[in-house]
Amino acid sequence: MRRRVVITGMGAITPLGHNVRETIEAQLQGQNGVGPIESFDASRFPTKFAAQVKDFDLARFIPNCQRWAHSGINSQFAAAAAQEALQHAGLLHDDRVDRNRFGVYLGSGEGIQDFHNLLSWIYQAYRRETRQLDTAVFERGALSVFHPERESEQELHTTPAHLAAHFDLRGPNYNCLTACAASSQAVGEATELIRHGDADLMLVGGAHSMIHPFGVTGFNLLTALSTRNDAPEKASRPFDLHRDGFVLGEGAAMLVLEELEHAKRRGADILAEVTGYGSTADAFRVTDSHPDGRGAIACMEAALKDSRLNLSDIGYINAHGTSTKVNDSVETLAIKKVFGDLAYRIPVSSTKSMMGHLIAAAGAMELITCVEVLRRGVMPPTINYETPDPECDLDYIPRTAREKRVQHALSNSFGFGGQNIALIVSRFAG
Amino acid sequence: MSASPRRAVITGIGIISPIGLDAASYWRSLLEGRSGIRPIQAFDASGLPVRIAGEIPHFNAKDYLEKEQRKSLRVMARTIQLAVAGAQRALDDGKVDKSKLDPTRFGVEFGAGLIATELNDLIEAACVSANCQPGRVDLEKWGEQGIPLIQPLWMLKYLPNMLACHISILHDARGPNNSITESDVASLLALGEAYRILLRDQADFFLVGGAESKINPLSMVRQCLFECLSRRNDEPTRACRPFDRGRDGLVLGEGAGVFVVEDLEHARRRGAHIYAEIVGFGAAFDPGMRGDGLARAIRAALTEAGIEPHEVDHINAHGLSTPESDAWEARGLHEIFGDCSPPVPVFAAKSYIGNLGAGGSTTELAASVLAMSKGLVPPTLNYEQADPDCPVVVLSQQPRPMTRPYVVKVSFTQMGQCAAMVVRQWN
Repeated sequence: MRRRVVITGMGAITPLGHNVRETIEAQLQGQNGVGPIESFDASRFPTKFAAQVKDFDLARFIPNCQRWAHSGINSQFAAAAAQEALQHAGLLHDDRVDRNRFGVYLGSGEGIQDFHNLLSWIYQAYRRETRQLDTAVFERGALSVFHPERESEQELHTTPAHLAAHFDLRGPNYNCLTACAASSQAVGEATELIRHGDADLMLVGGAHSMIHPFGVTGFNLLTALSTRNDAPEKASRPFDLHRDGFVLGEGAAMLVLEELEHAKRRGADILAEVTGYGSTADAFRVTDSHPDGRGAIACMEAALKDSRLNLSDIGYINAHGTSTKVNDSVETLAIKKVFGDLAYRIPVSSTKSMMGHLIAAAGAMELITCVEVLRRGVMPPTINYETPDPECDLDYIPRTAREKRVQHALSNSFGFGGQNIALIVSRFAG
Repeated sequence: MSASPRRAVITGIGIISPIGLDAASYWRSLLEGRSGIRPIQAFDASGLPVRIAGEIPHFNAKDYLEKEQRKSLRVMARTIQLAVAGAQRALDDGKVDKSKLDPTRFGVEFGAGLIATELNDLIEAACVSANCQPGRVDLEKWGEQGIPLIQPLWMLKYLPNMLACHISILHDARGPNNSITESDVASLLALGEAYRILLRDQADFFLVGGAESKINPLSMVRQCLFECLSRRNDEPTRACRPFDRGRDGLVLGEGAGVFVVEDLEHARRRGAHIYAEIVGFGAAFDPGMRGDGLARAIRAALTEAGIEPHEVDHINAHGLSTPESDAWEARGLHEIFGDCSPPVPVFAAKSYIGNLGAGGSTTELAASVLAMSKGLVPPTLNYEQADPDCPVVVLSQQPRPMTRPYVVKVSFTQMGQCAAMVVRQWN
């Protein structure tokens, strides 16, 4: 029999709160985390709003946080969420667990580039007469103004390395970055590491912020973001007929995964069990998902097969639900293809309607939401869902939370470029 | 711990490197002791303190793509182009008939890193918005006039998951697809993950590897600021000298190393040539860079392989060539192999090609996989004077026959993330 994997701790820093409880309660109240961009002057950008983490100060979460002094906000979010998750699991200073068997697997994003100095030196190195960049001028200039530690901290392996070093987690250490599917993929692959016996405990999750000039520029150029600047709070409206793109969010979400017998032995509070994981690729286009949703269908089917559950066991789906035209209709199509007529009886909601899209961190946060649905018996709503779209005809839990006792919940995450991940969590039944 | 009847074998090798644009030429250069480290020619590097690298002089991505696929090159940074080319060479080398593969059982796993923007992409936008005061962009001008001057798919050209995405699209690989972004250990973690996915029966066939190029002005500036780079600008071929007493820093290289890895039965059914079998993998974190974490990763890989240290022919080392890194690597290796008699020697491929970052582990491992099939291990370059801080025996001077059937590959990051893999010769 294969080793079973349970969740024994969770932590979150999101646009809706500085911990899991605040975030979930805000979701259940249908609160909105979207507002004008405050971290830089976006007043002339095509999109001028985002879902931002408010009043964040790492020192309030981790007193001795010097190692993150030059880190990007992404790594700082990760640290605070990890602190909460480990504390919740009772593993912050627990010498009884073998730290060599405790690893980290994140789906975490990059740090933030030195936008102003980079652009400034591109401009200064450009020679109008030859219409060429004098790279030697750029090199000297950039070397003189870039900050070494801040440059180093943008690298993708720094986030999980800091967590491992600070919290003394000496097992396998990974970071993957498969766009919007990253932290879900991290949860799935870490589950497999525990099942296989590479570790007994894994800190998993993601952290990301793309609310900076390059991030908004990049997504605006792809016309992926909502431009509903006159009503930002209405902008993230998954499955609604008038949806016009996603809303950038930011934050971190972390979970502690633990081998079941290990958790039982130390008397851990078991929050839920990870029962299914499916991973596929669309192999279609870098810009669009496959119109028939073939990758999305295949990943949900793979997760169901992995869980050995029946279709009718799934009581709630936390959708990828980005609020873009294509995602929401293709995801709906895929859910109907997988679940057939049952699809109309499974409540589906997108919490991105309230907290925006946390990009690499989105999947882990949405899995936490699923765990809380199992625990609380209340499903969060899709806010701003007002006008039905004929292509999106499922039960999206519009506007207000709904009570339901759910045994098994499924979470979808689809990455830009075609990676599809589905995860299933179940109430722990002993 | 779960016993699996499935086995993972390497059946194709694709190399795009400073010393050869396919596996055969890579191997020839290794045997001939030909270094790929040279003065940077891709751009004017005269403003940098470091002006040497393992640059690939004549790489043209068009050579690796069908005509109708070439338009996608516009949205691929050089790193992605190298990956795509390496994947094609791996399929060629493995004599793979794609029409016979089940797309849903065909996975892609790549190691990747941050990809720096090409400065040219931003010139026009910079000129309308960064022209007022030094060090400041006028964000109003950027938002209004700058953004429309950048090509619409700009961001996609630089996303680290695009190596694996483009490869999945070009070859219709619809199975598991992951991009591990863990600096210099990335492609070994990717290979380990693919190995596990094959064994647990969630795919039959994989393209696995890594690619990276930091040989561009922005990446070089960043690396000069925070990496310990060799300053031997006047003698490039002698600059990368793993474990040698005179080492003074790493040398950046570029390239891709890609394997076809598949389930043994799948390989047999299609009549594939088998190079080697992956038999063990382990990963760990080494908090204080003491070497004990590296040793734990190696021990886990050996245990899974079911072998003892003395059964290993050679260690395919990380061999970064910085004073600190080689010393802690040697301590970790010594902890496992220190008692072996005769000693288990190390080979360091970086001495030829430099540090390929996320593409390094697989490109380096390819040297040992080729060595297994030829029965000969190439020498490490520039190992001239032993360093008492590095208690390892380094293979140098000339090729040496393979005497035992196993190779251990190790890789790690300078923050402590470690991985080790055991590969077995096929016969």
